[in-house]
Amino acid sequence: MLRFIVQRLLVTALVIAVTSMVAFSLVHLTGDPAAAMAGENAAPEDVEAIRRTYGFDRPIWEQYLTWVGRFLAGDFGRSHYLKLGVGEVLAEHMPVTATLGVLALAFALGLSIPLGVAAALRPNTIVDRVALWIAVAGQALPSFLFALGLIYVFGVLLRWLPVSGDATWQHFILPSVALGYYATPAIMRLTRSGMMEALQSDHVRTARAFGLSRWRVVVRHGLRHAIIPVVSLAAVQLGFMLGGSIVIETVFSLKGLGYLAWQSIQRADIEVIQAILLVIAATYAVLTLLADILNAALDPRIRIG
Amino acid sequence: MASIASATAAPVLALSPGRVALGRTLRHGGFWVGGGILLVILVAAILAPLLTAHDPTWQDLGKRLVPPVWDARGSWEHPLGTDQLGRDYLARLIYGGRISLLIGFATVLISGAIGTALGIAAGYWGGRVDLLINFVLTIRLTLPVVLVALVVVALAGNSLTILMLVIGLLLWDRFAIVTRSATQQIASREFIVAAQAIGSSTGRILFKEILPNITGPLIVVASVELAHAILLEAALSFLGLGVQPPLFTWGLMIAEAKNQLFFRPWLIAVPGAALVALIFAINLVGDAVRDVTAPEGRA
Repeated sequence: MLRFIVQRLLVTALVIAVTSMVAFSLVHLTGDPAAAMAGENAAPEDVEAIRRTYGFDRPIWEQYLTWVGRFLAGDFGRSHYLKLGVGEVLAEHMPVTATLGVLALAFALGLSIPLGVAAALRPNTIVDRVALWIAVAGQALPSFLFALGLIYVFGVLLRWLPVSGDATWQHFILPSVALGYYATPAIMRLTRSGMMEALQSDHVRTARAFGLSRWRVVVRHGLRHAIIPVVSLAAVQLGFMLGGSIVIETVFSLKGLGYLAWQSIQRADIEVIQAILLVIAATYAVLTLLADILNAALDPRIRIG
Repeated sequence: MASIASATAAPVLALSPGRVALGRTLRHGGFWVGGGILLVILVAAILAPLLTAHDPTWQDLGKRLVPPVWDARGSWEHPLGTDQLGRDYLARLIYGGRISLLIGFATVLISGAIGTALGIAAGYWGGRVDLLINFVLTIRLTLPVVLVALVVVALAGNSLTILMLVIGLLLWDRFAIVTRSATQQIASREFIVAAQAIGSSTGRILFKEILPNITGPLIVVASVELAHAILLEAALSFLGLGVQPPLFTWGLMIAEAKNQLFFRPWLIAVPGAALVALIFAINLVGDAVRDVTAPEGRA
C-alpha cells in the first residue's frame, strides 16, 4: 500500500510539474503577452517598456524557472490590472468556487446514486427508463442553457430564488444544481452498472439466502461494492466541475475562480490567468490522486495488481 | 442432417460482421429518430438559402424585437420574430447550424486523428510507449478544457481556424482511451499474431487489421465527441470568446439574447431548442451504434 501511494505521489508531482509548464507557456506560445497587456492602441515604445518591466524579453525557460521559484516560495505574482497580489486575489475568490463545487457534487450524488440504485433494482422497468432519460437529457443540455432555464423558472416566473451574486446560501442553490446536474448522468450510469453487477454476485446471493433484509442486502452488500468506482468518478467529476464552473459562475455572477478567470482573460491579466490554470489543474491532479488512494484502500485488488 | 446444417449456416456466413451490424443499426428505433433529426438539421443548414428569403445578417433597426407569429403582435413576415438588431430570427436559426456543424465535424477529424493514433500506438506496443502516452493523456485531462480554450482563443485571436484547432487539440482524450483499450483487446488475437507471423508490415497491421476492427467503438466516441465539440463551441461563443460576428451559431445567438431573458425568453428558447435537438440526435445515433456494436457495454 505504501509503495502504491509513493508511486502515485511521484506521478502526481510530475503531472503537476508538466502542467505548470503548459500553464505558463500557454500565454507565451499563443500570443505576445506584452502586446495583450498594453491593449490594442498602445504605442510600440509602451509595449517594449512592458516587455522589459515584466521580463518578457528574457528566454522563456528563464522566466518559467523564476515563476516556479516564486510560486514555491509562496509569491504568486501581482495582478497588473487589480494592483494586488495574485495570492490575495485567489484567496478572495477560492471559497466561492470551493463551496459551489462541493454543493454541486452533493447535489449530483444525491440525485444520481438513488436513481442508479433504483434503476439497477428494477432493470428495464419504468423506473429504469425514467432514470435513463434523465441521463440522456442531461447529456444533451448545455450547462449555460440549463442555467438560463433555471433562472427563468425559479428566478423570473416563480421568484423563489436569487439568480445573481453570492451573498447568501440561497444564491448557491441554482448554480449548484446547474453545475451538478452535468455530473449526474455519468455517476448514475456507473452506479447502475456497478449495482447490477454486485447484485448478481455470489456474496449478495449468499446474503439473500441467509435471509437478510432486502435493505441490508442492497446497501451493505450491494452498494458498498458498487460505490468503489463511483467514489473515484465523483472525485474526477469534482475536478471537472472546478474547471467547468467558469460558465456557471459567469451566468450567475458568482465571484469565484471561474468568474475571475473570465474577467482576467478579458483584461489580459497574465499572472492571474497562469495562477488560476495551475491551481485548477493541480486541484484536479490531487483529487484524482485521492480517488486512486481511496480506491486502493477499499479494493485490495488494485493496490496489489 | 447435413443439408439442414448447411442450409441454416449458409446465410449467416454470407453476411460479413459489418453488414450484420449495419442491418441491426437500421432496425434500431433510436437510430431512425436521431438520424432523422440530424438529417433535418443538416439539410436545413446546407439548403439554408432556399428555405428562407431573409438574409440572416441583414439588420432592420426599425423592426427590432418583433415577437414571433404566435404572439398577437407577430406576423408571418417574420415567423420567429426578429432579434435586438432587427434580423429575421428564423433565417438566423436556419443558418446558425452551419458553423456549429462545421466546427463539430472539423474538430472531430482533428481530435479523432490524434486520439486514435495515440490510442492504437499505446494499445499495440504497450510497455514504455503506453506509459508515455498515458502520461500525455493524464496531462491533457488535468488541463481544464474551457479555461485553456478561452485563454488560447483570447490571446491567439479568435478566427474560425484557431477555434477549430484549439477544440480539436483539446478533445482527443476519449478517442485515445477508447481506441487504446479496444486495441489491447484484439492485439493478441490470432489474426494479429498470424499477420505478424507472415511478416506483414507494422503499418499494414495497424491500418488493415486493427483499425477496421475498432470502428464500432470509434464511431461511438466520434458521436460523443461531435456533441462535445459543438457544446464546447456553444459555451465559448456564449462566453463571448467563440465564434465572432458576422459569423454566428446558436451558442452566439443565446449569448446575444442573454439580457432578453426576462421579457423575451423565446429569443433564448428558439436557438436553445435547436442546439438541444442537435446534441440529442447525435447522442441517439451514437447510442444506437453502441447498442449494436457492443451490447455488453450498455449501461
